[in-house]
Amino acid sequence: MTGHESKLRTLEEAAELIPDGATIGIGGLSMNGAPMAFVRTLARRRVKDLTVVAVVAGIPIEWLVAAGCVRRVVSGLVSLEGFGLAPRFRAAVQAGQVEIDEYSEHTLICRLQAAAHRLPFVPTKAGLGTDMLKLHPETLRLEHDPATEEPFVACTPLPLDFGIVHATEASTRGNVRVDPKLIWMDGEVARAAATTIVTVERIVPEATFVAAPARTTYPRFTVDVVAEAPWGAYPTSSFPRYGYDGDFFRSYVAAHTSPEQAQQFWADRIDGPERHGAFLDANGGARTLLAIARRTS
Amino acid sequence: MSYTIDELMVVTLAREFTNETRAFNGAVSFVPVCAYLLARRTHAPELVWAASSIAIDADPKAIPESTLSDGLWDGAAMLSGSSYDFWSFAQGRRYNTFAFRGAQMDAYGNVNNTVIGPYESPKVRLPGGGGMADLGCMLPLIYLWSTTHDPRTFVEQLDFRSGMGWGDGGDDRARLGLPGGPQLCVTNLCVFDFDPGSKRMRIRSLHPGVTVEQVIEATGFELAAPEGEVPATPEPTAEEVRILREEVDPTGARLREFR
Repeated sequence: MTGHESKLRTLEEAAELIPDGATIGIGGLSMNGAPMAFVRTLARRRVKDLTVVAVVAGIPIEWLVAAGCVRRVVSGLVSLEGFGLAPRFRAAVQAGQVEIDEYSEHTLICRLQAAAHRLPFVPTKAGLGTDMLKLHPETLRLEHDPATEEPFVACTPLPLDFGIVHATEASTRGNVRVDPKLIWMDGEVARAAATTIVTVERIVPEATFVAAPARTTYPRFTVDVVAEAPWGAYPTSSFPRYGYDGDFFRSYVAAHTSPEQAQQFWADRIDGPERHGAFLDANGGARTLLAIARRTS
Repeated sequence: MSYTIDELMVVTLAREFTNETRAFNGAVSFVPVCAYLLARRTHAPELVWAASSIAIDADPKAIPESTLSDGLWDGAAMLSGSSYDFWSFAQGRRYNTFAFRGAQMDAYGNVNNTVIGPYESPKVRLPGGGGMADLGCMLPLIYLWSTTHDPRTFVEQLDFRSGMGWGDGGDDRARLGLPGGPQLCVTNLCVFDFDPGSKRMRIRSLHPGVTVEQVIEATGFELAAPEGEVPATPEPTAEEVRILREEVDPTGARLREFR
């Protein structure tokens, strides 16, 4: 496959693409499959004034907020699940440093779908009767079907400057496989973006895709940049290869009981290490990775 | 039979579910997850439960720290892979049951999980409504639970309505073209159901040892009059408690909601 333009970039090169003030969508679902290696690299760049769109997320928003990168969060749910509330996000919102534009999961998905399909809106019954509609009179419009008079919510497009998702493997041409194909809202994030960046566990030959074309998830003409990041979803999971690191989340939440400890944790285990490998080492390295690795059949 | 409040709540909720229940769960939903699994192991073997809204017919050996994590998916017959897989079944009512809770709940079963205080300058920023604002509208059978039955949780006026219950009461849901509505709210003191006309909460049963006065005192809104004499919540059987402790939730993950 010589002669084709390679879309392969380093994490650092990929993160360089994001300018101050950009609207970025981040994939993943809560503790699952977030492009954390990219998020950390972006946070270390100290890019400013981002609008971060993440349907259900916790730790990606925590890190970008901690690094001072975020002006506004657009999300349905920001938490660390059973481990606790998202401490940096919560403090920043309560201090008025970060705006939160709360949507529900489905209205946000519909807005991304409207952008992906270039439609004026996508309809849903979601949100009827709730205060969320009052927050967004322009982007979530209460409408009535002209034929039946049935009320619905018209979700207007939410185009993203950049969409970043994590996947299993890609070729340098930009074909991408998520294997097994559990993508949830990543499909919407990737499709609503003007520029789509995919981080992958490994780079594979183009022939891998040709050999099993039914298992290709994102075709090359919809993928702009590919960056290799083994264990790139850590500390979230990448099913079925590895689970989330419960020890990381427990100690992260525990460290946020005092500002000094939180700062130390941030410096030692998240922000300090320069390269992705050094970051993994700072969090226990091979021992941690073996502990979260799943036996796959 | 000796049992604890978490076990009484799980068993009470489980007994509401049937072979027709087609459910899924969201974040921090240990009590309903235990209830679906218990119901399936006792009286409702055909019950459908999608773990984390993803893993259909999952049968986990234990419940992990997150009810949205893949640790909950073991034994599933299908992993839903896209938003279409889930939302078409939710909005299309192939699923019919959803349970949620909030930091605040009002008399109509509407829920706040967004902010305490004004939205723009909150005293406490909560995680957000997530799928509540969606699923409260889409599903016909809504179940509520609370492990903190006090006047801060059960309030007259929500600071923010994140999730739709019976809305403003009466026929509010029907006017918006929404199916069904909240059926029950199981708390650590009692079981509420809803007055068929006003759609306000009323006491259906009191947990053993709890009085009507205690419930009134712990509730920040006026309750609708109960239907006749208020009975005690039926106690769990020894077999239900055994299955919950030994098979459904051997590590006691549900206790995360009782701290």
